[in-house]
Amino acid sequence: MPVVQFTPFSSLVQPAFWHDLTRMKIDVLQLSDEEVPVIGSYTTGRSITDRETGQEIPLGCNLAVGGEAFQKSSQLPAFSVAASGIFKNYNTIEDFKASDKTAFFNQASEKIWDSIVTKKDTSLLNQFLLITFADLKKYRYYYWFSFPAFASKPSWEISENGWKAAAEELSPKQLTSVYNQLHEQTRPFFLVRLSEDGAEVAGVEEYDEFFANVAPASRTVGFIDPSAMAENPGWPLRNLLAYLRATHAADSSSVRVLCWRDSELPSAGKPWRSRFAIVTSPAAADPTAKPSAVGWEKNPAGKLAPRMADLAPMMDPTRLADQAV
Amino acid sequence: MHAIQQQYWAVRDYLSPVLKESKFKEHGRITPEEFVAAGDFLAYKFPVWTWEKGDISKARDYLPTDKQYLVTRGVPCLRRATSLAYTDADEDAERLLSFGDTSATGNEADEWVETHAGRKPTLDSAANPGEIDDIPDLDGDHESDVASAIGNLSISASTTGATVGDTPDLDDIPDMEEEDLEEEDEAIAAPKAKGIPSSGVLDVSQVEVAKGNLLQVRTYDVMITYDKYYQTPRIWLIGYDENGTPLTPPQIFQDVSADHALKTVTIEAFPHSATLQAASVHPCKHASVMKKVIERMNAGVVEEQLAQRKYAGGASPKDTKENKKKWGFGRKSGGKDDKPVEDEEADGMRVDFYLVVFLKFIASIVPTIEVDSTTAF
Repeated sequence: MPVVQFTPFSSLVQPAFWHDLTRMKIDVLQLSDEEVPVIGSYTTGRSITDRETGQEIPLGCNLAVGGEAFQKSSQLPAFSVAASGIFKNYNTIEDFKASDKTAFFNQASEKIWDSIVTKKDTSLLNQFLLITFADLKKYRYYYWFSFPAFASKPSWEISENGWKAAAEELSPKQLTSVYNQLHEQTRPFFLVRLSEDGAEVAGVEEYDEFFANVAPASRTVGFIDPSAMAENPGWPLRNLLAYLRATHAADSSSVRVLCWRDSELPSAGKPWRSRFAIVTSPAAADPTAKPSAVGWEKNPAGKLAPRMADLAPMMDPTRLADQAV
Repeated sequence: MHAIQQQYWAVRDYLSPVLKESKFKEHGRITPEEFVAAGDFLAYKFPVWTWEKGDISKARDYLPTDKQYLVTRGVPCLRRATSLAYTDADEDAERLLSFGDTSATGNEADEWVETHAGRKPTLDSAANPGEIDDIPDLDGDHESDVASAIGNLSISASTTGATVGDTPDLDDIPDMEEEDLEEEDEAIAAPKAKGIPSSGVLDVSQVEVAKGNLLQVRTYDVMITYDKYYQTPRIWLIGYDENGTPLTPPQIFQDVSADHALKTVTIEAFPHSATLQAASVHPCKHASVMKKVIERMNAGVVEEQLAQRKYAGGASPKDTKENKKKWGFGRKSGGKDDKPVEDEEADGMRVDFYLVVFLKFIASIVPTIEVDSTTAF
């Protein structure tokens, strides 16, 4: 059986974030390179119909960081979920290069694993890391994201048929019911209990009570899926599956997964875009042993190296003057 | 010079009075209240648009604090506008698009012409991928040349250390945990460029075409602010390439139709942020264009409303219902708009609809950015 492949997150940093970082660096952080909490967000995967060829083109699986990232709370539209992040800015390019990324990463992934095993908490499952060096004089920002994900051993597998449209498994009524409840309260990860005339949604932490009287074959877990690729669920599912394996080992040999991708009710004649599949995996020897974690983002060339945003064309006063008419 | 000009604009903006009277049908301008009403309607009908409050210190007092400007993020842009260049061969490639349901009254006022229908993309195909390299560099100096090259490529092996300037390049950052990452490769979906899953959304025959496009799918954050001086909405664009790297002004101008780049579309300070710069369509002609469009649409709407009233008298509930469905979606606000149709004169297009029309107009300036999510109407 094929191994389930996940679409990795790709970072999307809005210029407003770099502007706010500049302000933070000068006014607040100054020479400190302490860790600072930031907030990012992702939303359901989107695709666009190309008007010239009529084909559906999936858009990126983005985790966006915007200008309000340093603020404690920001309201998000429905079907967008916040992801907490740990941000670290280095004062010099040498510090940035020499920083112990492995230690930083391991420390974060251990914390996430700890929250899973001891607290059975899902709030850190989509945590990300961000290290930066801001060259304020040149308006250049070097940055490197990491989206820690636990690599399951043995891997999760899926039947030859792959992922199918959620509408093949759930009735329109059930999908609408899930939609309404998520619209009311968007959760990054959720449980779905199906019934004849609808569906009920609850947080993953309530697993035992919520699924108490539900046959294992109809227990469904869902998540807000930032991927738009038909055969690849988004990155957050990796940690959700790791969570289930660690906390509900008995149920996790076969998991019914709902990848939620509908941010609005489909208009007449359009299909639901959410995906569904049953993923299976042989039981792990010790479900609570911390698996290895991965997740440093590759640069556009596909290498494990930092990225750079060059905002000089949009920030440098002399260059802006050249553009002016 | 530019700074002085911007100061001048800021002062002019500050001094100009807030438009009080509703005159959008006479000259295409709207009041802040109407901007909020139209924005509410847009955000309600198309949830991709949301209100933002922006930088508090830059808040405009004639707008509600939590409704300073509208924003939609990640608007896709599949092709460059330069690839839409109009040639004689395209002359006849127009088709009428029906706007709404015309059959009810049989009038054709609601039809839009789509030009270049069925035209194959020429410049922007897999066979001709070199477009990005052809950006005319407006700055000319070597430093910015390199900078934009880096902006495109980010840090890759191909950029050599010497060219990056004073900042040491990062190539020698040790690749981290290569071995560790190697083994979990099986669970990572292949990057888009390497191959698209050949089932589901795309099928095999489309992959070839898609490859050429996918590499250049840009996204835009689009903002609509209210311009107090011109008394119209104003549109702002911030672009990203497929890797999430911000676009440079020359790259953004590729997505603006040639008639407007560098003339009506320029890079300016975004009014709701202390420092942010964004590409903007200059609003000096918005009012007159909007007036024309509104006039044209208004005629259709009035005609329809008259017809509707006629039907309403003549016991044809089905028709009435249909018509209501078509033009009555501004009704959600209730209150003054909700008067029974029979009692009022045909009042034509409501101002709620303004921004929807505005986006259609903007779509002609940035033809490849899908700002107009309202085509369903």
